[in-house]
Amino acid sequence: MTTQIQTEEVLTASNRRQNLFLGFKFPKTFLGLLPILTFAGIFLAWPLSAIFRASLHDNHNHITFAVYRELFTGIYREAFITSFKLAFLSALIAGFCGAAISAALVRTSGTFRSLISSASGVLANTGGVPLAFMFIAAYGQDGLITKFLLWLHWDIYAGSFDIFNFWGILFVYGFFQIPLMVIIFTPAMENMKKEWAEANDSLGGSHFQYLRYVAIPTLIPAFLSATLLLFASSFSAYATARAMTIGNLPLVPLVIGTLVDGNVIPSEANLGDALAMGMVAVSVVVIAAYLALLRFSKRRS
Amino acid sequence: MRKLSKFNIFTLIFAAFFFIAPLLGAFGYALRGVNGAGHSLVNFRWIFQQQGFYTNLGVSLRLAAVTALLVMVLMVPTVVFLHLGGKRWRRLIEFVCLVPIVVPVVSLAIGAQISMPKWLQSTPYELCFFYVIVSMPYVYRAVDIGLQSISLSTLVEASQSLGASGLTTLRLVIVPAIRSAVTGALFISIALSLGEYALASLLHFNTFPTWVTNVSQENILGSIALSVSTLIGAWVVLLLIVFLPKIRSLRKVSVNV
Repeated sequence: MTTQIQTEEVLTASNRRQNLFLGFKFPKTFLGLLPILTFAGIFLAWPLSAIFRASLHDNHNHITFAVYRELFTGIYREAFITSFKLAFLSALIAGFCGAAISAALVRTSGTFRSLISSASGVLANTGGVPLAFMFIAAYGQDGLITKFLLWLHWDIYAGSFDIFNFWGILFVYGFFQIPLMVIIFTPAMENMKKEWAEANDSLGGSHFQYLRYVAIPTLIPAFLSATLLLFASSFSAYATARAMTIGNLPLVPLVIGTLVDGNVIPSEANLGDALAMGMVAVSVVVIAAYLALLRFSKRRS
Repeated sequence: MRKLSKFNIFTLIFAAFFFIAPLLGAFGYALRGVNGAGHSLVNFRWIFQQQGFYTNLGVSLRLAAVTALLVMVLMVPTVVFLHLGGKRWRRLIEFVCLVPIVVPVVSLAIGAQISMPKWLQSTPYELCFFYVIVSMPYVYRAVDIGLQSISLSTLVEASQSLGASGLTTLRLVIVPAIRSAVTGALFISIALSLGEYALASLLHFNTFPTWVTNVSQENILGSIALSVSTLIGAWVVLLLIVFLPKIRSLRKVSVNV
């Protein structure tokens, strides 16, 4: 009898405690969200609203939308188009390469895995002058890999490739974009249950059928959201773009950087703010397209 | 664990070439001697002779530590909270964590410049807060996926029926259970703060990456040596984070035995 009562007591006590976490009764309270919302409010929403307000004021502090019209003309329009093209291609290429590496990586384990995943963490964050110098040393006109490939009778400079032009930069971006894909896509790959492949095998399915009916449909949402991150990362890349170009390739972040650094005095002081808002707008459109695509892919499967 | 297929092996070899080739190229140049003749370590020695090496490296390491701490304190409890009882706010937080992707760092830098108070803009630690913002999408994803793969509520119930407080549960049960996800999140935030250039340079702070950019204008071979060392140095820092706890826990086990 006594044991039964004791068990009951323990059970009710645990039920009572279940809802307590860090001292808060969380299902009913908003407190658990307070830290992150405050933080994002101060360091994200507030600066953003400041740019927006600043972009609407011209040199004489009058409210105007005129500056936004300039984004669709001349070099600003060209910069947006080039940036978009670079980001899109880079996300697509790095997305597939990174996914292939993740697929191989989830089949390894232990020290090798730790080495690769920490290396991805570092590589995904390389950029700027260090990255530029490494690629120039390897693939520049005088680069050691260039010379090595020439020795193998492959002149990489025979065509339109140049480490400093659009295609060169696309190539360099792969160095941090592919590891980024590996970092964000590997967890999704890990969630693929081994039993699914076994079930497929025992039902007599081929490897192709496994890919077609199991792997690809389950991985598509994660793949899309990962490539979205890649798009954003190369769209806003600043350090590498700045180190790799000599003013020959108009990219929006570079244009903004020049305006902000104060080397150039623009006709409108708020042009930089408007360009910054323009970048946000492009990303919003891309995310909207992504959400639509996600809904479509979910309905299909 | 399944065996690697031919395609997997091909991928890994190809990737190894893609990532090691630039490093080799850079090493080839960095190991050249004075005026590019012969081989020596003179370019690597040049790095340490530059003014500001230790101070700027110190600043970047401290920024990385503070950022990592902030990320852990802010993100892990929040995502755990969402999984346990705050499911109805999940959408909202997912949205908040998606916003930093939409906002390019350059835009964030301009916004910070015109909106942050003067006292905050006078210390480089201002950068930490923005590094947290920039790493939020990646950290959220990592922790979220980690929590999805464990049966969180069972673990929490078990831990609390044994009398553990919320904080103890978080520290001793949840974080160890999602260790690889937490390490991943730490990697991202630390590597990000060690290598970040745009925010630091546009907000006019001197960190290691901005220092590298400045000194690189003086000596090409030296700065190639510096580039290689930066990359390998950051890797070593991350490897220490992975392997130090393992070594320590090994020692603990041997003491107990």
